[in-house]
Amino acid sequence: MESEVYLDRNTFMHRLDARTKIIIFLLIFVAVLLFDDPLWMLPVTFLVIVQLLNSGALINMRRIRYVLIVLTISSLLLWNLFSQGSTPLFWFIEVESLKFSIARTLLILLMISDGMILISTTRNEELVLGLIRLGLPYRVGFAISTSLRLVPTIVASLQTISQAQRSRGLDLDSGNLLERIRKFVPLLIPVFISTIRSTNIFGMALESKGFGAREDRTFYLELKMRPADYAVLTFAILFVIASLLAYAFGYGRLSGFTRF
Amino acid sequence: MAAEPAVIIKDLHYRYRGQKEYALQGINLEVARGEFLMIMGPSEAGKSTLAATINGLIPHFHKGKLQGEVLVLGRDTKQYTVAQMAELVGMVFQDFEAQLFSTNVELEVAFGPENFGVEREEIKRRIDENLAYVGLEAVRRRPPSTLSGGQKQKLAIASVLALHPTVLVMDEPTTDLDPISKLGVFQITDQLCEREDLTLMVIEHDTEEALHADRIALIKDGKLVSVGTMREILEQVDLLEELGIMPLGIPKFFKMSGARELPLTIEEGLQSFQRLGLRISQEKFDRIVAEENQRIASHTQPLIQCINLEHTYPNGVKALDGVSLQINQGEMVAIIGQNGSGKTTLVKHFNGLLMPTGGEILVNGIPTRQQGVFKLGQKVGYVFQNPDHQIFSETIFDEVAFNPRLRKLPEEEIKQRVHEALEAVGLAGCEQDDPFTMTKSGRQRVAVASVLAAQPEVLILDEPTTGLDYAEQRSMMEMVKRLNEQGSTIIFVTHHMWVVAEYAQRVFVFKDGKLILQGSTRQVFSHGDELREAFLRPPQFVEFTSRLGKTILTPQELINCLDATEQGKHGI
Repeated sequence: MESEVYLDRNTFMHRLDARTKIIIFLLIFVAVLLFDDPLWMLPVTFLVIVQLLNSGALINMRRIRYVLIVLTISSLLLWNLFSQGSTPLFWFIEVESLKFSIARTLLILLMISDGMILISTTRNEELVLGLIRLGLPYRVGFAISTSLRLVPTIVASLQTISQAQRSRGLDLDSGNLLERIRKFVPLLIPVFISTIRSTNIFGMALESKGFGAREDRTFYLELKMRPADYAVLTFAILFVIASLLAYAFGYGRLSGFTRF
Repeated sequence: MAAEPAVIIKDLHYRYRGQKEYALQGINLEVARGEFLMIMGPSEAGKSTLAATINGLIPHFHKGKLQGEVLVLGRDTKQYTVAQMAELVGMVFQDFEAQLFSTNVELEVAFGPENFGVEREEIKRRIDENLAYVGLEAVRRRPPSTLSGGQKQKLAIASVLALHPTVLVMDEPTTDLDPISKLGVFQITDQLCEREDLTLMVIEHDTEEALHADRIALIKDGKLVSVGTMREILEQVDLLEELGIMPLGIPKFFKMSGARELPLTIEEGLQSFQRLGLRISQEKFDRIVAEENQRIASHTQPLIQCINLEHTYPNGVKALDGVSLQINQGEMVAIIGQNGSGKTTLVKHFNGLLMPTGGEILVNGIPTRQQGVFKLGQKVGYVFQNPDHQIFSETIFDEVAFNPRLRKLPEEEIKQRVHEALEAVGLAGCEQDDPFTMTKSGRQRVAVASVLAAQPEVLILDEPTTGLDYAEQRSMMEMVKRLNEQGSTIIFVTHHMWVVAEYAQRVFVFKDGKLILQGSTRQVFSHGDELREAFLRPPQFVEFTSRLGKTILTPQELINCLDATEQGKHGI
């Protein structure tokens, strides 16, 4: 079972320095937050799509496609329900609220893509090292990478556990909402227990290999900023500055529109 | 002049925080430099606790009360952190998933030296050196999660050796591995014990591996029962059995036949057999085989039929390739093969967890596709390998009542079923206990009981004996055998060849998704070459009797087959 998120490839995005990728991740995050008008979000959307295509991270987005579909539908629906525009379109939807709901949906999808691109193209160790080189303490960086690493492990054990309980007659696909939620207890408790057990061993193994033995730790991986990194960073910074200026001058907002 | 011992343990007592009992009660032990010491004992004897004191995990990681001293090359573990001890003591754990945490093989090996500030060039050298040592150069760029269990354990060893430790402690390194991976890890252990600079302390259940050790320490209830050379310990067949450790079949047989000098290896066994003038009676052997064939022939009602069964996973891996077999009502059969040979994929078809992508599978004459997992679950019970993947209730009663409650049976009937199921697994009276506080073997029994409560006709057990000690394995299999005698059909998947030899009536051997061999257990074990091709090996005792010319499965069977006229001549 494939449960690794990192994609072992050699694309332009993969070759960038981990620090560059972390900074781009943060910059895009800011750029995505600025506008309420989906038209004004097109440039940043374009940049994210280019990254998705280049890095191959689309495969990982496909793996979570059901989550994405649910998010898209519910976000489109909810933002129309909970906002009020001035130009009626049909039923409870107005032009402004539709635009806003599209913008918010894009925001969610772009943020997920942004994060997915980072972890699909950056090894755990590179990510930690990048964070440390950017000023984070080693232990904090290590903790972040460990929690990322835990996700695929939990998914894998959830699969086995669900098979074991289905063999015992657990039928997850029937009953009302409350009943269905209750049926997750036989799945969640074993997942919880086995995760605790394995993190305990993880902790022992970590210390047994000298984790934190000395302050002056070597990093076997080397990070190196190359011309491409500086070029990409310059471009990203200019892009975000331009977006901020546009925002400051009041572009990309929707008029005649209220949120509840 | 004798050099100073690598490890000195002086009057060691240890109690885990919150426990009343001491897990270690006065251990005194010295391990010489370059020695290979094997530590054996039943479950819960304190073996892992002892291992954890060597590198300071006790008392630093597991808090508790420690008395006495552990000195490694003169360093008192109380005075040093675990991380500081890591330079001297390497530690390999049983769980090979949880002890690896890097995204590629090279970085895993680099992790230890990195922590000690070793120069980058030197780290590179150590990666090359240690990956070559365990034979993983070919996969050096792969993520550890894509490796097989055996490769993962080899990587764990390499990553620890990269710190150049003086003492290597391995806590049941092969328990969760299939036979071929086990062999690979054993070969590395053998290589390691040749090294003068490395002291090996290995906890192991596999007595055949103990033949390579210099000395063996037997532990029970936190006390050292006996420590001696490999031969001194392995000859004490009765003591081993009493401690719940599997004695080797060869000395056990000679002990039963009354010999005074007990051989250990196959070669020694053959010599003793000849010297004592023992002979196998053809007539008695034929009678045993005839009885066996009669028993197999008495099961005629087909229960599970696979016709050209194929299964291809969504990622394109063909896990089953044209498997045709039939299992009859009332049989007890074993399915064997190395990991990835398709065993588990096959049995998951029996209760409808997986559906065929080609061919056909019938249960009671009806295709599983028409029945589904929920309906099949009433007929076919499936006990998963790890009981921790299914236990979730606060009391054993609730856990076992899970299925009957789902089926909305009346309360009286639920009570009745839970009672019967617990009776069958030997846990009657424990209804209100907390399953999470039980030992592994106890939890395994709860898992079996919770499947039995559905009153299935067929019971599938996926590696029911893994992680249990010999006495627990035996009592688990005796229980399963009783269920079989009461009419249940039993299908078990296992890596333990002695369990197959003693308990299976028929055996199916898988390799690369194909059924390569099937027949009575005796027939299958007589095909040593095909088994080796599937990376399996009959138990040492069966190899011994095969060399005598007949495939005889257990010491008792060989005693029964001896030519009576030759009895009483031995004892030299």
